Amino acid sequence: MNYHIIQKDNLDCFIKSLAKKMKVCAPVAKGHNNFAFEEVTCAGDISLNYIPTILPPKKYFMPQREKMLDFDLTEGKPKDSAVLDAPEMAIFAVHTCDLAGIQCLNMVFSERPRDYNHLLRKEKIIIIGLECNTYCDGNASCALVGNHYPNGGYDLFFTDLGDRFIIHVNTQKGEELVESMGLAKAAVGDFSALDKVREAKKSAFQNEIGVDPKKLPEIFAKGMKSKVWEELGAKCVSCGNCTNVCPTCYCFDMADTVNLDMKTGHRNRTWDSCQFQTFAEVAGGENFREERAERQRHRFYRKFKYPLDKFYRSFCTGCGRCTRTCMAKINLKDTLKALAAESRSV
Amino acid sequence: MENEKETVTAAPKAAAKPKVAFFDFASCEGCQLQITNLGEGLLDILGAIDVVEFREAISEKWDGDYDVVFIEGSIGDHHAEERLKKIRARAKVLIAYGACACTGGVNGMKNSFELDEIRASVYGKDYKFFDSTPTKAVHQVVKVDYSINGCPIYAPELVEVLKCALRGLPYTVPDNPVCSECKLNENVCMYERGLACLGPWTKAGCNSWCVNNGNICYGCRGEVKNPARNANDIIAKYDLKPELIKNKFDMYNKCKEGGK
Repeated sequence: MNYHIIQKDNLDCFIKSLAKKMKVCAPVAKGHNNFAFEEVTCAGDISLNYIPTILPPKKYFMPQREKMLDFDLTEGKPKDSAVLDAPEMAIFAVHTCDLAGIQCLNMVFSERPRDYNHLLRKEKIIIIGLECNTYCDGNASCALVGNHYPNGGYDLFFTDLGDRFIIHVNTQKGEELVESMGLAKAAVGDFSALDKVREAKKSAFQNEIGVDPKKLPEIFAKGMKSKVWEELGAKCVSCGNCTNVCPTCYCFDMADTVNLDMKTGHRNRTWDSCQFQTFAEVAGGENFREERAERQRHRFYRKFKYPLDKFYRSFCTGCGRCTRTCMAKINLKDTLKALAAESRSV
Repeated sequence: MENEKETVTAAPKAAAKPKVAFFDFASCEGCQLQITNLGEGLLDILGAIDVVEFREAISEKWDGDYDVVFIEGSIGDHHAEERLKKIRARAKVLIAYGACACTGGVNGMKNSFELDEIRASVYGKDYKFFDSTPTKAVHQVVKVDYSINGCPIYAPELVEVLKCALRGLPYTVPDNPVCSECKLNENVCMYERGLACLGPWTKAGCNSWCVNNGNICYGCRGEVKNPARNANDIIAKYDLKPELIKNKFDMYNKCKEGGK
């Protein structure tokens, strides 16, 4: 285990020299207690004390709109060439919930057929995590899914120790970066300070819904016909906010666009959402999830049931974004609590 | 054909390109302006079509059939209705563009009143001399093949629809709320800023143009087909009155209900 130390006074220097090497993105204040990952050039641009950003960092691994290939139909046989826009970059101050989200996406996109755009892009990205010493707000449920502590998925990981950050080096890339910055190794006092932070979190972060997460698969197995879904369906706007802001939602739509010359064109993919009425509609007009209740249920099962069966891991990272963004007040914690209560009473 | 070889790589001759005409009815003609303002993009469009009529841009007229016609504006009197039917009869493909043409637009507000009452208030006591009918969108008068919603039109969407029309492909106006695009653009939600925005009920397709530029959504693209059943939850979260949202919607969406 390799730990280094950076004094807070030196953070600006760290960001500036990193920004000389590559594009650096970090949380930036957008007003009204909203934040977004954006390009920064110095520490002053960054909001270190931020609640989860509007969109998670998945936008750097799987852009909202992405060109996949160019094609040319001028000659008899169509020609095409794959396109990949993958700049070298660093994402700074990624919370543990979002690190978990990136890990989930890596699992999904490593499955066959592999998503090469995602896999090649992630090779170009250095991830620098930042620990939450306290809750961001009451919408988070990171302790429920065990994401309030770091669990890998980063090159470097920063923990605030007051006047300095202790940096955990997790990869060769991270090691080289820290070496090039000439940061000092952590000393005994730093480790005991880190232990103190982690110890304090044990009481500060508690299971947010009072339901044993081990019981969730069973609760969901029984909950298919719950009235909870009807209640959600009655509220839902079908705007897709909850899935767009989710760090582990990865559904997309593909479309070919021809240029005005009617010969050349390109293939694009855009984020899609299972909450849209058209999402599960097929030729002939049949719709497999016509009702909002079915679509909301599907979203919850895609976080708490199906990925557990397939990847043995919750795809809810506990970031709380879906609750924060929902205009119709659909609340993830309340939904889980209601489902658990119903399951107990059956 | 032999002696035309050298022109093969150049743009197709005007005679070979689809004949396209632009017409306007009751409107501010702002959607035409959006087209003339396309800049360099206009050159690409002119490479693909032969514009034979376009009042705001050229003085030429065309007496043959049209491959594609663009109709701007809503239909507000008998004369307009007849004129539109005649254009339709000469056109292979008809594209309604702009809120007035597609959904009635602001002109639809006329339908909030008794027709004679509103005529009298506009034209005075001799209003009967001035023909006027309840506002209709183009599709309420003739068959429309493509719609480009919005006030004004979102130019990139116009180009997409034109390409679909030239290739004979269908184009579907997105039926998701504007939020679905707004979120991809990572805007701070207008409701978070304390402003009532019509994004949650309005058809997307504009790439949340207004919100990207610091404005609320005014609902100019029309209401989604299946809006939230219980919008009160949204309104309750932000402590607003349902009437406020309904009144905001009236600006662009009165035509939907038909005339009185």
